[in-house]
Amino acid sequence: MIKVTNLKKSFGDNEVLKEINVDVRSQEVVVVIGPSGSGKSTFLRCLNLLETITDGHVYIEGTDITDPKVNINDIRTEVGMVFQQFNLFPHKSVMENIMMAPIHVRKWDKDRARQKGLDLLKKVGLADKADAYPDSLSGGQKQRVAIARALAMEPKIMLFDEPTSALDPEMVGEVLEVMKQLAKEGMTMVIVTHEMGFAREVGDRVLFMDGGYIVEENTPSELFDNPKHERTKAFLSKVL
Amino acid sequence: MDFSFELIKSYMPYFLRGTLVTIEISIISIIVGTIIGLFISIGKMAKNRVIRTPFIWYINFFRGTPLVVQILLVHFAVIPTITGKTNAFLAIITALSINAAAYISEIFRAGIQSIDRGQMEAARSLGMTHGQAMKLVILPQAVKRMIPPLGNEFVVLVKDSSLGAFIAAPELMYWGKAMQGEYYRAWEPYLTVALIYFILTLTLTYILNFIERKVSTE
Repeated sequence: MIKVTNLKKSFGDNEVLKEINVDVRSQEVVVVIGPSGSGKSTFLRCLNLLETITDGHVYIEGTDITDPKVNINDIRTEVGMVFQQFNLFPHKSVMENIMMAPIHVRKWDKDRARQKGLDLLKKVGLADKADAYPDSLSGGQKQRVAIARALAMEPKIMLFDEPTSALDPEMVGEVLEVMKQLAKEGMTMVIVTHEMGFAREVGDRVLFMDGGYIVEENTPSELFDNPKHERTKAFLSKVL
Repeated sequence: MDFSFELIKSYMPYFLRGTLVTIEISIISIIVGTIIGLFISIGKMAKNRVIRTPFIWYINFFRGTPLVVQILLVHFAVIPTITGKTNAFLAIITALSINAAAYISEIFRAGIQSIDRGQMEAARSLGMTHGQAMKLVILPQAVKRMIPPLGNEFVVLVKDSSLGAFIAAPELMYWGKAMQGEYYRAWEPYLTVALIYFILTLTLTYILNFIERKVSTE
């Protein structure tokens, strides 16, 4: 589903990603953990080309998105993304946020987009907020709307960039619950997070990143209970 | 000090004629200046350095030199070179438009760039093109923020149109000076002119406040 080979990314002289190789299978949930500055968010943002890629290749369903001939907008319709800061459109209601891309990118008619929006809002438990504006929502509600907005495009892959890091602690659960449900339904997901409990419970595989490399990757139980690498041990001893 | 309302009354037709010309100059210059300003701001935000440079220097030049100098240049040099004769009305509109465009373009740019980067990223991550993201997400938010500084700029432009008197464009200030020359009086013409400008800018401010309120409640 996703294949990353020799991915490198530099900001000026600062090499943030130094040779990343990853395969993500269909319906797999891959969780990326690591200290801040380890490059995990940058890695995630390379998967839908929100960051330009310095070197290497990223294949989404076999298409090399680093090929300049590829229309990245078509790829992005298949790859949903959820951001730490939600990034809801504040001038649009919840329903309009969700309907915008299906109408303007997928060219659905309004009724179909609205129906999809209602279904998704029910799914994330916010059916009563369709006409509310983002400013009136709590952080957890905003993030659930952001997830619904991404899902409205019916993507095959979902990327989550620290989706609970900007939330008050008591709102983390409601967002993770929605993500758990998605994983259960077989969505292919790549999740950057600091929620170790969630990583262990939901992840099929955990990648530990540090200094621009994937230092260690394994099943959650192996990686958390039996880390091989010194840096993984040091990191886990601080966060667990 | 003797102050003659009679004198003002007798000169009123000229003031009114000048006021109409001032309104005309202001409206045309605001429209043309906004259009040029939009064009300049797009040019200045270009990714390509070579494309960007002339727009940057356009803004530098028109913000960095006195408006009076620009008006005199346009009136006595640019317009005669192009059309073969002087035309004060055309000159003041041209000078005000290209000058205001420099400021307006910066208002547009600042408004667009003040929108959080995450908005563009979210829109693009949903598969929107850059143009769609601009039209549906960035500009509707940016325009709200542009209205107050644009209003300021329009008010400045109305007042700056009085510099048309330098080149004998028959606007309000010109008639104020003419009255002073005719009657050797200073209080009456200039207080009258000041009051009329004040009414004009106050009206404009009210209109802009109304638009601002309307946009922000939408």
